[in-house]
Amino acid sequence: MVAYVLRRLLISIGVFFVATFMMYLLVANAGDPLEDLYGITDPGDRAARIASRTEIMQLNTPVVERYFDWLGGLLSFLWGQGTLGVNRTGQAIEPLLGLALGSTLRLVVLATVLAIVTGVAVGIVSALRQYTSFDYTITFFSFVFFSLPIFWAAVLLKQFGAIAFNDWLGDPVVPLPVVVVLAVLGGLFAVSLVGGRTWVRRGVSFAVGAVVVLAVLLVLSQTDFLARPTLGPVGVSVLGLAAAVGITALVSGLANRRVLIASLAGAVVGIIIYVSTVSVLLDPTWPFLIGLFVLTLVLAGGVGFGVGGIDRGRAARAAVLSAAVVAALSFVDWLMYAWPAYVSSSLGRPIATIGSNTPNFTGTLWETTLDSLTHLVLPSVTLVLISFAQYTRYTRSSMLETMNQDYVRTARSKGLTERTVIMRHAFRNALIPVTTLVALDFAAIVGGAVITERIFGWRGMGSLFIEGIYTVDPPPVMAFFVVAAAAVLLLNIVADLVYAYLDPRIRLS
Amino acid sequence: MLDEKEFGTVEKTSDDPLTIKYTFADDAVWSDGEPIDCDDFMLTWAANSGKFTSSETDAEGNPLSGFSSAGTTGYEDMNAPQCAAGDKEVELSYATPFADWAGMFGAGSILPAHKVAQGAGVEDLIGALTSNNTDEVNKLAQFYNTGFIGTPGTVDTDNWLSSGPYKIDSWQAGQSITLVANDEYWGTPAKASSIVIRFIDATAQAQALANGEIQVARPQPAQDILSQLQAIGDSVKIDQGDEYTFEHLDFNFEGAFKDADLRKAFALCVPRQQIVDNLIKPVNENATVLNSRYKLTFQEGYDQVVSASYQGQYDQPDIAAAKQILDSKGAAGTAVRIGYQSPNQRRTDATALIKASCDQAGFDVQDAGQQDFFGGGLANGNFDVALFAWSGSPLVSGQASTYVTGGGNNNGKYSNPQVDELTKQLLSQTDVSAQDTTIGQIESVLWSDLATIPLFTFPGLQANSTNVTGPSFQPAQSQQTWNDDTWTVAQQ
Repeated sequence: MVAYVLRRLLISIGVFFVATFMMYLLVANAGDPLEDLYGITDPGDRAARIASRTEIMQLNTPVVERYFDWLGGLLSFLWGQGTLGVNRTGQAIEPLLGLALGSTLRLVVLATVLAIVTGVAVGIVSALRQYTSFDYTITFFSFVFFSLPIFWAAVLLKQFGAIAFNDWLGDPVVPLPVVVVLAVLGGLFAVSLVGGRTWVRRGVSFAVGAVVVLAVLLVLSQTDFLARPTLGPVGVSVLGLAAAVGITALVSGLANRRVLIASLAGAVVGIIIYVSTVSVLLDPTWPFLIGLFVLTLVLAGGVGFGVGGIDRGRAARAAVLSAAVVAALSFVDWLMYAWPAYVSSSLGRPIATIGSNTPNFTGTLWETTLDSLTHLVLPSVTLVLISFAQYTRYTRSSMLETMNQDYVRTARSKGLTERTVIMRHAFRNALIPVTTLVALDFAAIVGGAVITERIFGWRGMGSLFIEGIYTVDPPPVMAFFVVAAAAVLLLNIVADLVYAYLDPRIRLS
Repeated sequence: MLDEKEFGTVEKTSDDPLTIKYTFADDAVWSDGEPIDCDDFMLTWAANSGKFTSSETDAEGNPLSGFSSAGTTGYEDMNAPQCAAGDKEVELSYATPFADWAGMFGAGSILPAHKVAQGAGVEDLIGALTSNNTDEVNKLAQFYNTGFIGTPGTVDTDNWLSSGPYKIDSWQAGQSITLVANDEYWGTPAKASSIVIRFIDATAQAQALANGEIQVARPQPAQDILSQLQAIGDSVKIDQGDEYTFEHLDFNFEGAFKDADLRKAFALCVPRQQIVDNLIKPVNENATVLNSRYKLTFQEGYDQVVSASYQGQYDQPDIAAAKQILDSKGAAGTAVRIGYQSPNQRRTDATALIKASCDQAGFDVQDAGQQDFFGGGLANGNFDVALFAWSGSPLVSGQASTYVTGGGNNNGKYSNPQVDELTKQLLSQTDVSAQDTTIGQIESVLWSDLATIPLFTFPGLQANSTNVTGPSFQPAQSQQTWNDDTWTVAQQ
């Protein structure tokens, strides 16, 4: 396998030289780097500025020579003295690249993870409920989202998700007609998800869905939940135990009592830690929180292992998962607790349309996290909307193909439960083609999201690239290019390695 | 110097030789407490005079300036300033009279000399400059050129000093810069205790304003941004005005347009009013056709200059008259290649409007927009008519070289001895009202020769939330923060 990776890297080096050379030539010839200076009226001023920029950008040196200068600087990184050059104002590229990369990762990683998780989950359900109204609805919406022009979607999101929503937060009451419409939609969603052959069953599904939505909305309205949201110990416990039951159903089936007990025990461990740490979590630090999280998982795993009996591996896994869900719920509860203070510090307009944070904002860890989240929510939704379609469609077709394989039929005829067939035999195999998509998507992350960054006022890799092109300034573009190319290269190799792990038939050589 | 009285006073004490007395306010200090005085003035002069050269030379073998300067115009005509360390008064004389003396040593051109001296390791800055000690001057230039360049996100509180009502407090790279009131400022203190400047794309500014994330915006003017701003309603005040830049048509005097009659025919068919109505009024409803090259519509003296030089003969196109001239010269079908830097939608549209009108008169107008216009077209005379903009300025010295024989900006090779003579006179005049009279005379010749055709001043757009009072649009200022020391925020 080492030989395989080395061979791949060697081939890539050749590609890298050709690609960077072409890129450099193209950028250097993309326009006139002095264009903005020609309109300066004072001839002396103009000449001085042109001379200074010509010197900084080495415009009197032939392009090919400039490329090799740049390449020399890059290769010098091998012995630790490298440079990526300076941009046209004479600023070193390395700090710019660092900032751009950091900003892009913060913006895009969350969105990509969300898109993968929701996309894959919806794709699987969509495949299992093939040709139901749920399937058709998902197909319809994923194509709608996929076709949205991103700048238009972003502007609409800002208008309704930020401006109108913030206005509404001033007096957060859901009007009755909206309640009714949402309840009907909830009912229809339940029908399409649960299905049912008879009209009676469909009617029951509809009624349950509608009533749940109605109840949630009424409770939210009546208790002023949006202004002062909270789960509280009761909410965290109820949701956490419910999640433990759900996790057991997926991991082993509810019939396996040992696992169910372990899973519930894991949730209880989480709840106990949540209740007992209330006094120390008012303004924690990240290392402390992460340490607490790890401690919770370890304790839950131990408890699961202890009560798991012969199935202790699965029991421990279920317990850890349940405890993780409780931890996440506690985190959300803490954020909710900080919400009213944050809203009033943002003058009642929490959801932001631009930037990565409120300038000069200070507060507890919960408040600064909320500040980041309120700035992340709109760009993340924009990014999720477009990549969501790819994941659902890809997962759905991959899952459908797997479900029709002989080994799935064999598994069924052996008398295995449907849960085991889907989770063990179909799901894992369906993930193999999705891996390619995930790997490429993560590589594309590093390339930034040019339009999204621009509209939402983030200065990431996309801005570095696009501004370099506009100003006909190769070094920033090349810095972008090197990092993006390296990411594509590495993640393709990673994807190959993951194939080998997921599919034992594949051997890398 | 600065037009703000608080900084100090400027007084012309003699016309021959032109001598100016600068007096810094007694309590004027940098934000670290160091007085602003003689050494700061000396450094500004030295850095911009071009007289302190480095050992390096350019392609032609001329020594390069040691200090990197935004231009030596004016400064190169000065004798060395007369003052001693710690003096608040500086006497400055010019070797040759300079018309724009009042614009020298402007805001932002004076850097803290004590920091440069400290950073360069030079004890006696004034001494080093007056004796032209090469070694020490090179060290000073080195620090002057590079010592104030920062790394993104880091405020160099040691060196980045302020001499105004605000100073930089923090900088979040790519996101924002925060200014706080400068507590060492000796004049009227700033009304707002801090101001945050955020970096946002023009297209995102209207919604950020509507969402209350920013209070003042100055986006690139465009029709959709204006309508977004208008849709916000009463909570936003919108200012429309002019920028300090003007669009114009330049004839190439080495082509068909060396014939004055053809220039006249072309000027008669260019639909100047229609261009303004169709392309500029949607973003600036107050826009008018520009009738002067030296003065822009909002500048003092514009009306005086225009009434002295232009009688309104080219306000509206007169196709029939243009056609008559072309026919009488047998020049119908003359090709007119309008060159401009593309892509630029507004110039493409303007060219299309000119074509629609002038083709009727018998010209054959061709859109010769090219991506390398400034490098490949304008300089080589590869155009019949050039469509571009000059950034304006209150200084007459910059404008002058556009119309004199062989001037650096005279791309069309226009030449008229009368203009050359008048321009020389203008550049030696040190009195503004006398300058305006001369400008009127120059413009009069330029109009009768049709050296160029001015079209319009660029539109500008600024908007602010009504809970902030103070921000207002000012064409001569490129940033909306020009009067930010007077902004106040209503209590909520």
